[in-house]
Amino acid sequence: MEGRPPDDIALAERARLGDERAFEELVRTYQGIAFRTAYLLTGSSADAEEAVQTGFVKAWSGLRRFRPGAPFKPWLLRIVANEAHNRRRSARRRAELELRAAAAHPSGDAAPSPEGAALGREHRAELLAAVNRLDDRDRDVLTCRYFLELSEEETASVLGVRRGTVKSRTARALARLREAVTSD
Amino acid sequence: MTELELALVALGQDVEVPAAPDLTPAVLARIEPRPMPRPRRRWAVVVAFAALATLTATLAIPEARSALLRILHIGAERIELVDELPEVTLQHDLEFVLGERVTLEEARRRAGFALRELDEPSDRVYLGDKGTVWFLYGTPERVRLLVAQTPRLRLASDLILKKLVGPQTRIEPVAVDGSPGFFLDGEPHLVLLLDESGQVVEESARLARNVLVWESGGVTYRLEGDFDKEEALRLARSLG
Repeated sequence: MEGRPPDDIALAERARLGDERAFEELVRTYQGIAFRTAYLLTGSSADAEEAVQTGFVKAWSGLRRFRPGAPFKPWLLRIVANEAHNRRRSARRRAELELRAAAAHPSGDAAPSPEGAALGREHRAELLAAVNRLDDRDRDVLTCRYFLELSEEETASVLGVRRGTVKSRTARALARLREAVTSD
Repeated sequence: MTELELALVALGQDVEVPAAPDLTPAVLARIEPRPMPRPRRRWAVVVAFAALATLTATLAIPEARSALLRILHIGAERIELVDELPEVTLQHDLEFVLGERVTLEEARRRAGFALRELDEPSDRVYLGDKGTVWFLYGTPERVRLLVAQTPRLRLASDLILKKLVGPQTRIEPVAVDGSPGFFLDGEPHLVLLLDESGQVVEESARLARNVLVWESGGVTYRLEGDFDKEEALRLARSLG
């Protein structure tokens, strides 16, 4: 999947057998992406922090169920995403993410990337508002695929669905988003 | 990638996410040391449970919540009678508990034993821990019926499925086509997945409704839903 598997496989196996130091290393390695995932799903820093902490604690307990040799990141992110969803549900639709786009790139920065140029054409603020208006299911799959840049397989694992479902949900979500943007 | 997809990737890079705090100390403070696996002991436990199952299957349960009958065992299930259900973090994402979602064909191929199915096709099929195959009727949010089948051979795994049953849940011994089983109803009970050290694998904790559990031919069967005993037995007997 990604660049870390050999290390991760060994660390996860040691952690599975009860090695806390190995687990600590996994926490250090993945807390960043775990936090970003939880934040994008909840829109709340405090909820994201709690989701990540609880997610790691559950991962430690659940490592017994972890299949040796399996990729650790999507397995962990699924637990964290699940925690984030629980918090989002309990907050009763505070899930309406209030993501704010970062300030525009100051002048003098390197030339915009092709993606940046594309974004310029699509009007970033408008696109973000449209993403925010999508329902949870659409937004979650887009968050995983494009904001977190997870593969289809990783997204399937994180969302607990089949890869084919990720494909179809992504296509539907993109269609809805396109419609929302063009009709604005 | 389409232009819209490129735009989303760029947007993702620009979405303002607070800096991730270092949560390592907080996480490490919350985890409990876990003993290393001891395979030999695991077998001993399995043998002990099997012996207990033989004993309990021959006894009438009703009012008996005596020390002798506080733990029942049938197939891959351990049922423990407690005075009060413990407080655990319940897992509300049923799909997460059930395992990997698969097609029926995939389940048949990977189960390793002959699946028994109701005439009505299930809405979803999952392959879970210990090789349990789950047939879900309805949706994960609104489950009408769950049918689980766990091969006994997988008892050698390091996980134990435990039901914690409070005083308000009735347990009645039943026979399904001559095979011993139990019907649980009255109050929901906790279903936990334990590792061999007895620690709850927390994300598996959930509340179960009325349940019929029995073992036949080396496979433990569970039906779970809002049915009474007669309906549960009828469903059980109609499993093809």
